[in-house]
Amino acid sequence: MIPFFTIIKSDYLQRTRSYAFLITLCVSLATAYTFIPEPNANYSTIRVDDYIGYYNSAWFGYVTAIMTSIFLSLIGFYLVNSGIKKDIDTKVGQIVATTPISNFKYLLSKVLSNFLLLSTIVAMVFIMSILLFILYNDGFSFELFQFVKPYLLITLPALFFISMLAVVFEVFLGKYSVLQNVGFFFLFSALMVFSPKTQSQFSFDVFGSKIVMHHLEEKVRDITNSDAETNLSVGYVLGHVEKAKKFEFNGIDFPTSFIISRFVWVLFGIGIIAVISIFFHRFDRKEHLFLKKFIAATKEEHKVKDLLLSSLPIASINYKIAPLVKTELLLLFRIGKKWLWIINIVGMILLAVLPITIAHQIGLPILWFLQVNRLSNLTTKELTNKVHYFAFSSYKPITRLLSSQLFAAVILMFVLSLPLIIRHLIAFDYSASISIFFGGIFIVLLAALLGVLSKGAKLFEVLFFMIAYSNINGVLVFDYFGGFEHKAFYVLKLAIISLVLGSLCAFVRTYQLKS
Amino acid sequence: MALKRLLQGYLKKTESMQLEIQNVSKRYNKNTYALKDFSLHIEKGILGLLGPNGAGKSTLLKMIATVSKPSDGIISLNKNNIIKDANYMRKQLGFLPQDFGMYPNLNAYEFLEYIAAMKGIGGKNLKPRISQLLEGLNLTEAAKKPIGSYSGGMKQRVGIAQALLNNPKIVIFDEPTVGLDPEERVRFRNLISDLANDCIVILSSHIVSDIDTIADKVAIMKNGTLIMHGNQEHIISTVTNKVFETRINKDALTYFKTQHVVVSTTRKKGDLMVRYISENPAENATKKEANLEDAYLYLTKTN
Repeated sequence: MIPFFTIIKSDYLQRTRSYAFLITLCVSLATAYTFIPEPNANYSTIRVDDYIGYYNSAWFGYVTAIMTSIFLSLIGFYLVNSGIKKDIDTKVGQIVATTPISNFKYLLSKVLSNFLLLSTIVAMVFIMSILLFILYNDGFSFELFQFVKPYLLITLPALFFISMLAVVFEVFLGKYSVLQNVGFFFLFSALMVFSPKTQSQFSFDVFGSKIVMHHLEEKVRDITNSDAETNLSVGYVLGHVEKAKKFEFNGIDFPTSFIISRFVWVLFGIGIIAVISIFFHRFDRKEHLFLKKFIAATKEEHKVKDLLLSSLPIASINYKIAPLVKTELLLLFRIGKKWLWIINIVGMILLAVLPITIAHQIGLPILWFLQVNRLSNLTTKELTNKVHYFAFSSYKPITRLLSSQLFAAVILMFVLSLPLIIRHLIAFDYSASISIFFGGIFIVLLAALLGVLSKGAKLFEVLFFMIAYSNINGVLVFDYFGGFEHKAFYVLKLAIISLVLGSLCAFVRTYQLKS
Repeated sequence: MALKRLLQGYLKKTESMQLEIQNVSKRYNKNTYALKDFSLHIEKGILGLLGPNGAGKSTLLKMIATVSKPSDGIISLNKNNIIKDANYMRKQLGFLPQDFGMYPNLNAYEFLEYIAAMKGIGGKNLKPRISQLLEGLNLTEAAKKPIGSYSGGMKQRVGIAQALLNNPKIVIFDEPTVGLDPEERVRFRNLISDLANDCIVILSSHIVSDIDTIADKVAIMKNGTLIMHGNQEHIISTVTNKVFETRINKDALTYFKTQHVVVSTTRKKGDLMVRYISENPAENATKKEANLEDAYLYLTKTN
């Protein structure tokens, strides 16, 4: 048993000792800081009609636990869904394959390592929630159990399930990162839509937050003496907070069935790992067979001509970036399997035929989100493929190479959105077309900057997922492509933000090259 | 005037390459140096850079190749400070790093076109140059297959091809023979002998046989410092008349190693034939002709 825990520990240490994890932790803490709005803030996070809770221990504990459960389930998948891939890339997997460890133990170690990683973030958020309670002191006594209980029964089981899902997706869709990302996106959306009403149904809520929300709504109905449907909002709601009335929330006594269901979810997760371990490739994948065949074929080589360097034709100087842009486009095009482009083509057709508002507000952000792997690789692929020695010692790596990468990605986003742009142009809605164009530039520059800053793909992937999810839910502040009505100067603001992002990207990359 | 310009152009072309490394250090923190106060003057020809793992060879080469910057010191090529003007070096550089990768979704031809574009070269001669490089490096058959399906040796040869794309005047090969089979190693040696006729070639390795047949000069490094630099004869002279061979019992080897610098051991009917370097050889020892490997091991073990 000790070696098993050593594997988990080593895997956990390997993944947490990275710059990207540090950034993720900082971003998580910054986000957690906003979970409980400062008393004078102009937004709310959890609100039932016009009611929010008094800032007592229970409100702090439950609200931060629910918010963490939802947000970390949302982004946690993307943080941990490359544990097996890392072993493939580093070839550690081939060593693992020759050891006596069973598939089940290996996959379970990955689940537990994922869970530990997410739990580290939860622990930091937990501490932050206590600190916020002290900071916003509203005269209520500190009750540790009101903090611990919701984290134990809501957040941790949900994150265990997410940790398990990440491994399941990797086992079955390891080679198709796009399908992993999109598949989880839809699965998460479906799970969030599930609205249980009875005690027995709450047990089926994997995120465990619905029971608390139901309780909050009941509480408000009691206060207002009304049987009417209450409007509970979870997420960042801007404005109207001054109208909010306060009610006292003292936590819930979770029914036994719900408590048992949390353990059942964990056991269910372990059971799924046991089942999928039968299908795990154990690092003997198809492309290896292809590689062997190919090398065997190339062994039948013809007689090699001697290479006389002095007689080779000398290539002339050509500082144009067109050949670089061409190859960058080729690289973008070839990420993922070729047949996945069918999804992009279908997306473009939908942009052409769906009602224009739906195409713009929902179709476009989804189609662009499908490119998440392409964009997140844009400025990180040199390092991940160890091409940086060539790239960073190339002639003018910023003005030529970085520019060509950005240019190629903007072309990609533009081409994908072309049916919608044309429709807007036909309808003489030039501002919508310009918004889409600048939206494409914005998201490309955001991807480039986060890639350069974090030297990895995860940060952008997580953020883009959150943005796309917010877009589909109509959160105005995240609309970067002009899908909704905006105040004046929207495009100008977008252009200025893009300019800042682009400048920062060039500045940071220049600094990295100099150091 | 025209004649003057022509003459200046000719003189510039025939100007011999000079790489000057002056008091260069690479410091990771206050007390940890990967390279310390390193100085070396390099001219046209092949310089073999020898040193054990961790000697600082790759750190030095990365700084010459403008991939990383020194903490202190100056590196200049033909009197141009390349730390300030990295593009001067980059325009005439061919660099094969030790631990490099490639985009697996591109084929060798596309990858070389991409590297050529990064280096800022093109024109009608580019395609035939790439084709001939691929042919000469035995990659024509594989050129249209994705690099992700290549063996280690094939990737290494694509790496060599990219270093030679731009008709470089300074070529840096960091452990270039890794993954090459014996036949390919010979071909590679012939290739760089041809290359050294009009440019600086720096060849780093910890395998002496990669260096001794082709290097005009050799620099030996250890712990981030230069131990010795000169032509092979000069370096070998440090162990002349000190190399011996003797037969010992295998149980005596541990003690023998404490008394002499052991170069190699071979089994001989239960005993061991030991090649070693010593001022005071054993009684029955046979004197042997010294070679570069003897000198390298002697210098790195005694410094």
